[in-house]
Amino acid sequence: PNDQKKESIGDAITVFHDPENFNVKHPLMHHWTLWFTKPPSGKDINWNDLLKEVVTFSSVEEFWGIYNNITPTSELGLKADYHLFKKGVRPEWEDQQNKHGGKWSYSFRDKRAVSIDDLWLHAQLAAIGETLENDDDNEVMGVVVNVRKGLYRIGLWTRTVGRSIEGRSAAKGKEVLENIGRRFKEVLRLKDPEVVEFSGHTDSARSSAKAKPKYTV
Amino acid sequence: ETNKPVEPPQQTAAMKSLHSARFIQDPSKICYPLSIVSPSPALNANAPSDRKFKYNKEFLLQFQAVFKEKPSLDWDARVRETVGDAGESARPQSAR
Repeated sequence: PNDQKKESIGDAITVFHDPENFNVKHPLMHHWTLWFTKPPSGKDINWNDLLKEVVTFSSVEEFWGIYNNITPTSELGLKADYHLFKKGVRPEWEDQQNKHGGKWSYSFRDKRAVSIDDLWLHAQLAAIGETLENDDDNEVMGVVVNVRKGLYRIGLWTRTVGRSIEGRSAAKGKEVLENIGRRFKEVLRLKDPEVVEFSGHTDSARSSAKAKPKYTV
Repeated sequence: ETNKPVEPPQQTAAMKSLHSARFIQDPSKICYPLSIVSPSPALNANAPSDRKFKYNKEFLLQFQAVFKEKPSLDWDARVRETVGDAGESARPQSAR
C-alpha cells in the first residue's frame, strides 16, 4: 500500500549490523508453516495424530532461528517428514487447496552420499525466497522431505497439474510447471541425466503401484 | 497459552529484537555492512512496492551464522512436543 510510512533508512539496524540489538527484519512474501510427521510408534494409529504443526513464521530471521534450533533431517527416524507449506495449507493432498495439484519429486537413493541437510535447506530457501516460480504462477504450495528406508525424497507441491485454468491454456500450464521443475532440479543440484518427476496427487493416490509420471525434467 | 510458566524466563536481547523489529519495506534501500552481499536486485526489479521480497540463496545463507537465537521462549518445549519425542532415533534438542 502507498500510505505506508517512508522508511528512515539511516537508523535501520539489521541483524548483520548488530545480531543482538537490531530494529528491522526481512519480511517473506508469505507466511510459512513448518510441519513434522512423527514416525509412527505402537500407539499412534492415524496420520492426523502424527502430523504436527511446529511453527509459523514470516521473516528471514525467524526462519534461521528455527532452522538453527531444530533436529536436522539427517538425524530423524525412518518415516519422518518435514513439510514447509504456505500458512493455511495442510500438507496433505486432501486439502482443498492441494486436491487439484501435484508434486515434483526426486528420491536420493544413496543416503550416505547425499548431503540431505544442505539439500533440504536449499529447497526451503528457494521456497521462502520465492525463487521457484514467476510472480504470476501462483503454483508453489510447499516443499517436503521424507526420510525412508533406503532413500531420502524431496518434493515440491504445486497447486495445479498444468491443466487449463483461469487465463492459462493447458500448454501454458504445462510450461509453467516444467519451468518450476527445472528450477527445483537446479536447487537439488541434480545433473542433467537425473530425472525429476511430476505426478498429480489424485493419480498417485488412485494407482497405488507405479503411476507414470505426468511430466519429467 | 496454557503452558506458560508462572515466572517466565527472561527473553534474550536477540529474541526481543526479533519480536520488536519492524519489517523492512524495501531491502534494496538498506545499507548492509561491507562484508554482506545485498539481495540480488534483479529478482525484485519489476515487483510492485509491497512485493519486493524475493531473496536469492546467497543472500539468505549469510544469516545462518548470524541469527542463532531460538524463535521463542517455549521453543524447546515445542520442539519436544512436535519433533523431539518422535522416536528413539529422533534426538531431542538439548534443553537446558
